Amino acid sequence: MNNPLMSGRMRATLVVVGLVLLFAVPSFTRNEYVLALGVSFATFAVLSGGLNLVYGYAGLLSFAQVGFFGVGAYAAALLVTDANWPVWAGALAGAVLAALMGLGVGYSSLRLSRHAFAIVTLSFALLCMIVSRDWVSLTRGAMGIPGLAVPQFSFPGGLSWRLNKPADFYYLLLGLAVACQAVIYAVVTSRIGRALKAVKMNEPLAQSQGINPLRYKLMAVTLSAFMTGLMGGFFVFYLTIVDPSIFDFYYTETMLIMVILGGAGSFWGVLFSSAILTLLPDMLRFTTDLRMVLYGFILILAMLVFPGGIGGWFERRRIERWRKVPYGGRGTP
Amino acid sequence: MDISFLIQLLLNGLVIGVIYALIAMGLSLIFGVLEIVNFAHGEFYMLGAVAAYFLTTNLSIGYWPTIALVTVGAAAVGYILYELLLSSLRGEGFERSILLTLGLSMVLQNGAVFLFTTTPKMMLSPLTYSNVIMGDVRMPVLRLFALGLGIAAFIALYLILYRTQVGKAMRGVSQNREAAMMVGIDPRAVSRLAVAIGIGLSGLAGAALAPIYAVHPLMGFSFVFKAFAIIIIGGLGNVSGAAIAAIALGVLESLIGGFLPTVMVDGLAFTAMILILLIRPQGLFGRGVRV
Repeated sequence: MNNPLMSGRMRATLVVVGLVLLFAVPSFTRNEYVLALGVSFATFAVLSGGLNLVYGYAGLLSFAQVGFFGVGAYAAALLVTDANWPVWAGALAGAVLAALMGLGVGYSSLRLSRHAFAIVTLSFALLCMIVSRDWVSLTRGAMGIPGLAVPQFSFPGGLSWRLNKPADFYYLLLGLAVACQAVIYAVVTSRIGRALKAVKMNEPLAQSQGINPLRYKLMAVTLSAFMTGLMGGFFVFYLTIVDPSIFDFYYTETMLIMVILGGAGSFWGVLFSSAILTLLPDMLRFTTDLRMVLYGFILILAMLVFPGGIGGWFERRRIERWRKVPYGGRGTP
Repeated sequence: MDISFLIQLLLNGLVIGVIYALIAMGLSLIFGVLEIVNFAHGEFYMLGAVAAYFLTTNLSIGYWPTIALVTVGAAAVGYILYELLLSSLRGEGFERSILLTLGLSMVLQNGAVFLFTTTPKMMLSPLTYSNVIMGDVRMPVLRLFALGLGIAAFIALYLILYRTQVGKAMRGVSQNREAAMMVGIDPRAVSRLAVAIGIGLSGLAGAALAPIYAVHPLMGFSFVFKAFAIIIIGGLGNVSGAAIAAIALGVLESLIGGFLPTVMVDGLAFTAMILILLIRPQGLFGRGVRV
């Protein structure tokens, strides 16, 4: 995880300064466009971070992330609207449901191969969309559930927080994103993260060192599904409507591009590319079609000439630097 | 139950099944020979339909010349596609091939939306409203043509694979790449041909279906995922398995659609696939040792 550009201390300072600035944005501007961009960044940072955990670290190409996102969203919306649950409980239940589905999808396909995993996750996401559209008695079909309630959080001591301004959602989703990123960072820099990378690089070798690949892979998938579902559960109240388009393949494509461009398996790279890819196309005022054409070209180019992404480029430079250092200046070791 | 209704459903299912088969066989052939899952496969089906629409509507070319032109054009596109993009993937990871072809699919699909808009277009031909009537069963002529084209393509592919030298080479590469190279087969030439045939079949499917269903840029997208399910059910890389699974799926969907809610129709392929993966992961007809 060492970045060749800066020391750990500098990075920690930079992270703190960045966070303070991000959270201070609503005090400087009430501009709804700026806040909407921030919400979009927070959401996609969690989506791409979750995918990075599964694809970048565990080496499993998952198309199911959008399914987890939508399942969290639908579960939260239905529990709050039909069963009068509080918003936080609905979102948490959605996250748990998404995690259980992640466990099921992972367990059924990972015993076969990572190829099966890719294809089963794809079918899972498509099935989610079909069910949400056609199981009308539960999900209300293609029209979705409009006009979701304004979330309100009650705290012990009579305090409550009603999210009726754009800035409130900005704080909520950004806070959630920071928490998720912290969890992802803690996991990938721990022994678990190293075990995942070892399994990805050489599964038989990792197994011979006493690592149970299936258990680590399932853990990564489940954790990622939980966070993605949680984000979906809260994000849906920002949208105020949930319909089958929450399962749109567009989300999958966007988070894939973020992970690939940032560098699969690079925490900071993916975070950086999530920010760039949320802000840039929006500022350039591309239509969605043109943006997806551009993303497609980026994906093709990345696969042909730049498979490691931004993070991979830094990683290569770091390894080159290591290689150059000692040996008494006498060529090959 | 009404027998003619049942026959009608069976016939309709057969037509759809044959079109599924054209797409799934190409996908399976490409997977067998190159070990690449082509996410962009459905887009070539869409482009075939769009090309057929423009050829007949704007250039007033007849039905049969259009079909021939689109098929040959698609095969040429497949040839170029292999040389430009896929050849660099040889021996590379499964995920990389998926992501590369997914990028291609995004470019083609959204490019088509940008140029063509998502408004569905109907391709009209002098035969659009002609039917063949047998008792109570009515069959539009164009559906029969599509059925005939699909069967002809299936026979042609079978003859290429089992009666020609190059077909033998293709089966050899998909069984054992190293051994095939050892006996002097050039995997590059074989792969190029496999991609050209696969994309050609996809273009043919698009052209054959264009006069039956509406033509629009998102039509390939839902199709290709069903085709994935089909090739898993039939056994990855197994071309005849894919064909059988495709026709079975088309007929089953049509029968279910006649009696049960639509959610069962669209969910059928995916549910069947997940079940197959759990119970018999090598697919109903065995893994890609036979093309």
